[in-house]
Amino acid sequence: MSEQPVIEMRGVAKSFGKNHVLRGVDLSVPAGQTFAFLGRNGAGKTTTIRMLLGLLKPDAGQVRVLGLDPRFQQLEIRRRVGYVAEDQVMFGWMRVKELLAFIAPFYPTWDAAWAAELVNRFELPLATRVKHLSKGQGVRVALLLALAHRPELVILDDPTLGLDPIMRKEFLRDLVSYLQGEKVSVFFSSHLLYEVEPVADSVVILDHGRIIRQAETEDLRANVKRILAPADAEEILRGLPGLLDITRAGRQVTAVVETIAAARTVLAAANVTYQEIDLNLDEIFEAYVIGRKETSNAQPPLERVA
Amino acid sequence: MRNLLWKEWHEQSWKLGFACIVLGALALIGMRSRILADQTMAMWVCCLGIMLLPLLSSTGLVPAERSEGTLESLLVLPVSARKILVAKTVMGIALCVLPMIVAALASVLVTGNREYPASAMLGMYGRFTVASLYLFIWMLALTIHLPSETRAGALAMGMVIFWGLATAGFAEPSTPRSLAAISPLAPVYVYGSAFERCPPLVVMVLVPAVIAVILWNWACKRLTNLEGRP
Repeated sequence: MSEQPVIEMRGVAKSFGKNHVLRGVDLSVPAGQTFAFLGRNGAGKTTTIRMLLGLLKPDAGQVRVLGLDPRFQQLEIRRRVGYVAEDQVMFGWMRVKELLAFIAPFYPTWDAAWAAELVNRFELPLATRVKHLSKGQGVRVALLLALAHRPELVILDDPTLGLDPIMRKEFLRDLVSYLQGEKVSVFFSSHLLYEVEPVADSVVILDHGRIIRQAETEDLRANVKRILAPADAEEILRGLPGLLDITRAGRQVTAVVETIAAARTVLAAANVTYQEIDLNLDEIFEAYVIGRKETSNAQPPLERVA
Repeated sequence: MRNLLWKEWHEQSWKLGFACIVLGALALIGMRSRILADQTMAMWVCCLGIMLLPLLSSTGLVPAERSEGTLESLLVLPVSARKILVAKTVMGIALCVLPMIVAALASVLVTGNREYPASAMLGMYGRFTVASLYLFIWMLALTIHLPSETRAGALAMGMVIFWGLATAGFAEPSTPRSLAAISPLAPVYVYGSAFERCPPLVVMVLVPAVIAVILWNWACKRLTNLEGRP
């Protein structure tokens, strides 16, 4: 594994008029990892990716991709990066084989044998026009184009948007099968948590243009927990360090904390009987993005029906 | 570059065929039927060409791709915006020039020298072709950021009308001569009585050419502009 991060952003800000899309984003993606870039729609994920590819310039801060500056070396970055865009539109009149022949000359590292293997693996009809492909086939073509030049980094921007759940699973299966064989870094932007959970080594959560958490997936699962306690312990739970979300339902109160070890110490000192529950990435994301906002605004204490 | 040209050719060739047939047929039928004097008929064909061709080519090259969403697929490729725009400009030039050549040949073949000398007729087609190329660059530069072919078409149409009216004023003593120097339609006026009021020939041809080069470079910068699309 290389020591240099494949993506590095320092204090990156970007506005479109009065709309502040990114507000001082700091991000570091280690080489060889599958990195999930999570955020709700409009959080700034696509803007970040466009900056990585040199399609947009930051108003402030520094961006480095594979050690290169996208403002000045965007062509070299695009040669070494594979990119699948959100709802990517291809040239509909081209047949799949024509599309491959059109794209291949742009990449000096294009591997025709590997492209042919991917065509077989993805079961793509070479003689069919792109506009006649199904949505799932279209995403597979986009993935093929992103992988056939053997990139060092693959950037996926919500690639399964608009696909049905079965197609999403098939796409991820293809992706995982590829990742198993190659030591390629993947930057996977998505708002569908369950789809990235099986493949992500690390996670970063972007909300309203700010990074609110970056951690390895296993650390996140190990540290972010739900605590179930009697309602009379609510005040103690509200004072827990790293509280992300708290809800009361009848005689029980549920809290989500980002550092369970610190919470355990507080709860043991207060002699509170409680139960710890593991969370999946979806629930962790929800706690960070929705819960955090509600706990900070909760004056007086919020009561939610479970 | 070859594959970019191949793509543009496949996308625009139907327009080229359409424009060649329309202008060629109009010249052929108009000249054979003699419903107008040869010079007047040639002028009508040229006017149709200068209105139709730059508009057809400029709106179809970038705004159409923006509205379809394929432009971003092109811009994320490891190829410079300059090369993408060169391929599009080459196709645009072909769209402006080839139908005029077809119409000019049809006109000269039918009329010979019967009313209007063939060399003068070819000269007229030549002047209108150069003007339509300048107009194409103006339209390309000013519509390149628009996300819809319809809006680009409306703006391009406005440009034809504006420059048509503004430049036609050369024949009127009250129109400032400086307008001739910057108009993309200036080459049209490099003959006849209006020419006497125009700036020197070299200014009439060179200044619009320099402006076209500046506009093209500006268009190149605006091609990659995705600002305003968070």
